[in-house]
Amino acid sequence: MPDKPTALRPSKRRRTAIATVTLFLLSASAAQTKDRSSVVKDFEERVQQYLETHKQTHVAMKPSDSPAKVEQQKQQASRKIQQARPEARQGDIFTSGVSAYFRERLALTLESAEGPKIRASLRRAEPLPNIRLKVNSRYPASLPLQSTPPTLIANLPRLPGELQYRIVGQTLVLYDLTSDLIVDLLPNAIPNGGNGQ
Amino acid sequence: MIARHWMVSLATAFLAVLCANAQSVENGGTPSQFAATTQLAVSTQAAPQLSRRLDVRLPLKDKSVRFAVIGDSGTGDRDQYEVAEQMETYWKATRFDFVIMLGDNIYGSHTPEDFVKKFEEPYKVLLDAGVKFYASLGNHDDPRLEPLYKPFNMDGQRYYAFRRGDVAFFALDSNYMDPKQLEWFDQSLKSSQGVWKVCFFHHPLYNDGRHHGSDLDLRHQLLPLFQKYGVNAVFAGHEHVYERMKLENNIDYFVEGNSAKLMTHDFSREGERIKGYDRDRGFMIIEITGDQLFFQTITRTGETIDSGELPRTSAAPSPSSQPQR
Repeated sequence: MPDKPTALRPSKRRRTAIATVTLFLLSASAAQTKDRSSVVKDFEERVQQYLETHKQTHVAMKPSDSPAKVEQQKQQASRKIQQARPEARQGDIFTSGVSAYFRERLALTLESAEGPKIRASLRRAEPLPNIRLKVNSRYPASLPLQSTPPTLIANLPRLPGELQYRIVGQTLVLYDLTSDLIVDLLPNAIPNGGNGQ
Repeated sequence: MIARHWMVSLATAFLAVLCANAQSVENGGTPSQFAATTQLAVSTQAAPQLSRRLDVRLPLKDKSVRFAVIGDSGTGDRDQYEVAEQMETYWKATRFDFVIMLGDNIYGSHTPEDFVKKFEEPYKVLLDAGVKFYASLGNHDDPRLEPLYKPFNMDGQRYYAFRRGDVAFFALDSNYMDPKQLEWFDQSLKSSQGVWKVCFFHHPLYNDGRHHGSDLDLRHQLLPLFQKYGVNAVFAGHEHVYERMKLENNIDYFVEGNSAKLMTHDFSREGERIKGYDRDRGFMIIEITGDQLFFQTITRTGETIDSGELPRTSAAPSPSSQPQR
């Protein structure tokens, strides 16, 4: 009989230790989740701010028989947004916290079970080399837009219709489709580059 | 006297060659003879007679849905113009109503002059005759400009749907298949009243070409929707060859990425293709009538390299039966 409490003591201590570690891990995980959601929220707010500029500088893009007229509209839209954001710099939207989150998401997605399919799609989409791009500049006219694998897009925060995630070499580009502007850049985002090797 | 004799002899010989050419086409002549006779027929024959002369393998039924297919066409070089001339010839015989474009509609720069040289000029006869072109976007296209260019009939959108008779067409932007587009596609297929459902976009889900090959991630996203809603036929470009496949999912897949660009000797030795062609450029004509889809694939020189009749079949329910390549 006296053995029982003695025998229970280490077990109780173990249980207490396990509970403490579990609680610690849970709280750490909750903190991390909270951190992640606040990072995503921060990203979304910055995107929203950009869209406000978009709305203020709105240029109606109307279909036309004349490619010259369409090009004129596009140039006007680019110019207005460039002028409204003269101080735009790399990292305005992809802050250090947001960048870390995006790099982690991209790495996890490429290492997941879907990774081989995504890498194959990247390889087969005529991948682009690393080319120097500049925030608030127009996307180089001579450069095709490499397609972005759908699973990669689905694993990143959702964007409004005006913006897209594009890949140039190892860089993730936040691209404004309507004004043809590079909104922000995230270098070294795609491990081993857009050729998916 | 001698000169007149020579002229008579030459004229007789010329006429004899023309007659021999015409005869050989009716009997299934070689591509070069075929091309020569086609040009003669265009300038001298009315449309109904022309359709008999040309190697037209479509039923040309009343009220059928008839369209041409081109992909990777916008180079502005001689090859594109030669394919376009062949399209004109066949349009005169078949009177297809519209053309679907599988992307890379304008390669390189996108100045107003490029739109003329790489689209308006080569297809001028068709455009002037009221043949509509419905474009989808390729990786060389400008997603800002082209959807707003009226002759591409995209109505300012990257992806869109339209209907002709019993056939519902879905033009997708395979460069950027975001959740929003997938949701739109799901809803559009769900609400579609089309007896036939035809999709077209740039990147092929299946392809035996060595240069690009199949887009596996895109397939992973689109195939479940094709199967769920019974898509019947899919047209894609990107690989600069012609290819026809029918896989376990009961959908007919076509790759027509050689309407100006060409990758010769591109096919891997083994593959899923029923028919592949990588020796010349070309285009397709499709006719859908009742529960049948008729197709004819024609090269730059007027040779028919594939044709046939495909029945409308519903999609197989099991996505797990897909080959993984």
